[in-house]
Amino acid sequence: MAGALPAVTLPSVVAELLSEMAAAVREGARIPDEHLLSLKFVFGSSAIQALDLVDRQSITLISSPSGRRVYQVLGSSGKTYTCLASCHYCSCPAFAFSVLRKSDSLLCKHLLAVYLSQVMRTCQQLSVSDKQLTDILLTEKKEEA
Amino acid sequence: MAEALRRVLSPSSAAGPEEENTAEAGPPLLLLGGPGSGKTALLFAAALETAGEGRGPVLFLTRRPLQSLPRGTGAALDHLRLQKIRFQYPPSTRELLHLLCSAHEARGPAPSLLLLDGLEEYLAEDPGLQEAAYLAALLLDTADHFSHRVGPGGGCGLIVALQTQEEGDSGDALQLSVLQRYFPAQCWLQPDAPGPGQHRLRASLEPGGLGPRAEWCVAFRPDGEMTVTPWPAQAGDPSSDKGSSSGGQR
Repeated sequence: MAGALPAVTLPSVVAELLSEMAAAVREGARIPDEHLLSLKFVFGSSAIQALDLVDRQSITLISSPSGRRVYQVLGSSGKTYTCLASCHYCSCPAFAFSVLRKSDSLLCKHLLAVYLSQVMRTCQQLSVSDKQLTDILLTEKKEEA
Repeated sequence: MAEALRRVLSPSSAAGPEEENTAEAGPPLLLLGGPGSGKTALLFAAALETAGEGRGPVLFLTRRPLQSLPRGTGAALDHLRLQKIRFQYPPSTRELLHLLCSAHEARGPAPSLLLLDGLEEYLAEDPGLQEAAYLAALLLDTADHFSHRVGPGGGCGLIVALQTQEEGDSGDALQLSVLQRYFPAQCWLQPDAPGPGQHRLRASLEPGGLGPRAEWCVAFRPDGEMTVTPWPAQAGDPSSDKGSSSGGQR
């Protein structure tokens, strides 16, 4: 049971790495290679795939007038996955298997891509109505069935 | 929400009236215990406590109406407090999900506490691991949205009660570990040797890395009245090493 990592916060080492990357981006510098290597060390091949998703601008932050937000990530297969903004949840099968069931990954590539797109400020923005946001949150559920 | 429960369990340590506005929501809390272990009574006590704090309303989600209002919860059952508790009874997992997914469409003041009783009943309908994770994550997301609407200095707490299985039934261990990811703070209710004419439980709060574990004795009299006292520190109990009353420590 000790293997289950909290879904609410990132481990401090990852949070630190992301904030250093964000600082580099703020200063207009390139993200140092050592940070990318650390990222690959922690997340393995997911790191490359997540960076690829960021490069292709596959991450969209959807918000409604209520202020509620949710992320959608267009996966490499063309499928769209929903990631919650407030805690770690992604609707993809890898999240269910590697993160929840096996506890051998911290995040799936989509959640990592959400974090990276925040750092690199490459998130697409989309405004929808409150009702549409409800449907997005509910549809996510139906896809599982 | 851990904080709302903590204030129920140890009113003496609660902030003075001048600090009322700084009442912190605390991390999401999972309240675990077997059948009849007082989970609903504690949830209701937390609802009354928060309703008396002069902040937003309390949203209490449960599958069916409470059979009776728990008694002697420390806070007077006054009408003003009761009026601030909004009960909603989603009859199915689907209805519960719809309520959570559309919570941002509701108008009016955002709740300062979100409570769900009987999570196990909703999980039983849809027992997949990812479904359990999505329900837990949506509860957090809904409380987080309410927190943003409440604004700084408050926030919306979240306490979810889950009935645990009988000993030896490990089928749901994985599901429990998934829920524990989303609820870093947990409070376990375990039956204690019954005293004369009352039902005693040991409440152990594990605040999830945010402080030491704390324990209380929760007793219910036959008339349903609840009393809470700090759990006496005992020699040989590894969790009570700071208790000066436990002689045999050194």
